Amino acid sequence: MKRRVAITGIGLVSPHGDAPDAVFAALLGGRSAITRWEQGDIAPAVVARAPFDAARWFSRLQLAGVDRVSQFAVAAAELARSDAGIDALDETSGVYLGTGMGGAAAMEEAYRSQYASGRVPPLTIPAFMPNAAAAHIAMRARLHGPVLTYSIACASAAVALAEAAKAIACGEIDCALAGGSEALLQPNVLRAWQAMQTLAAPASDDPSRSCRPFSADRTGLVLGEGAAVLLLESYDAATARGARIYAEFAGSGMSCDATHLTKPDAAGQVRALRAALRASGLAPADVGYCNAHGTATRIGDPVECDALGQVWREALPGLAVSSTKSMHGHLLGAAGALEAAITVLALHRRAVPPNMHCDQPDPGCKVALVLETGCAAPQLQAAISNSFAFGGTNAVLAFRRAS
Amino acid sequence: MNTVEELKQLIHDKFEIDVATLKTEAPLADYGLDSLSLAELLFTVEDHFNIDFPDNRQDVNTLGGLAELVDELRVTSAA
Repeated sequence: MKRRVAITGIGLVSPHGDAPDAVFAALLGGRSAITRWEQGDIAPAVVARAPFDAARWFSRLQLAGVDRVSQFAVAAAELARSDAGIDALDETSGVYLGTGMGGAAAMEEAYRSQYASGRVPPLTIPAFMPNAAAAHIAMRARLHGPVLTYSIACASAAVALAEAAKAIACGEIDCALAGGSEALLQPNVLRAWQAMQTLAAPASDDPSRSCRPFSADRTGLVLGEGAAVLLLESYDAATARGARIYAEFAGSGMSCDATHLTKPDAAGQVRALRAALRASGLAPADVGYCNAHGTATRIGDPVECDALGQVWREALPGLAVSSTKSMHGHLLGAAGALEAAITVLALHRRAVPPNMHCDQPDPGCKVALVLETGCAAPQLQAAISNSFAFGGTNAVLAFRRAS
Repeated sequence: MNTVEELKQLIHDKFEIDVATLKTEAPLADYGLDSLSLAELLFTVEDHFNIDFPDNRQDVNTLGGLAELVDELRVTSAA
């Protein structure tokens, strides 16, 4: 017997702050959090930094060997639990967390220290290991259920959420903290991304406009940092305890292109989109909003539009599409969770955030882009969030408005 | 400043533990240091005193024990 799954808590450490309502209001208003990178001797770059005060969550002693990525994760998980109105989670609850890189700051410091003094900090490994963030969430909340880490590049958090929802739906667990965390804004990580020639050129007039998904003049992605964790629980349990339900986790679809390591493939994305609709019992015409993967690369954006067109066909004009990465950047292993949170808030608030900095849509991107700020969506019943990863894994999450 | 006082200051700077509460003979675990934070402390102490701890460090349980070891190693490295 498959159970319904509710989203009852949202915890964010994002470039737009940690209060879900304020984050959504900022995005709805089209405010970009992208700024110029000011540290270290590297070629000009723009990033989306998350404001974060570790002292709010950790004593100095507790911070020993805890990388920024784990700090974000613990904070987002605590915020999600508290937002759900739960004082202490049942110890059988699970943690399903995505991250692309793990402890990037710890690795950067290890290399810096090795080359400077020949000594490497002793806690480099426990700080760096990609599953540290999930483990820290579990230790903080004293959870003894499945505590799992998913590292699938840009789809990490979306897959983590999908897996958590399935575990609740099938009755394996009753409650999960699920999402993603990423903190890779380090000079040498940026250099590596620059070397791959995928990053946006800083807009000379206004750096905050550097990320322009689906725009004819887009130049690439902007790296961001942060974490987003959703509290998922069985719909019946949420109703029984009188919880505020942001939305129903309706279903998910996953696929792999298996064609190229980094080049996206419409056929693979189509399979994931169709699988998500099938799993959630939704028809294309039921879905009013798509939070697009939309990284603003030359190759990626038209492929995503092609895939949406193949699945939505004549219903495509009714699907409002926006990439909020235009404002919060690409959080990689946390992207799917932040964007799932935004999609859920769009359903809850019945408003859809804009696709910013797209003065001239690319003629190859024939979707109904949300080009205005403050766009109300009074009829919105269901929405999807796309995450398409390097490695070819595609994940699509589908949400339905709470009934 | 003697070694114990210097170590107290280091522990304070690193972990924000109040110097006045640090007792020479109390186990470091009493202040919340576990095996991981102790490893990080020892790394900092090595840097500060420019010494190398031997691989076998099981005897370091208290501030006093740590200070003794530091003094011993400083003498060895000065010799």
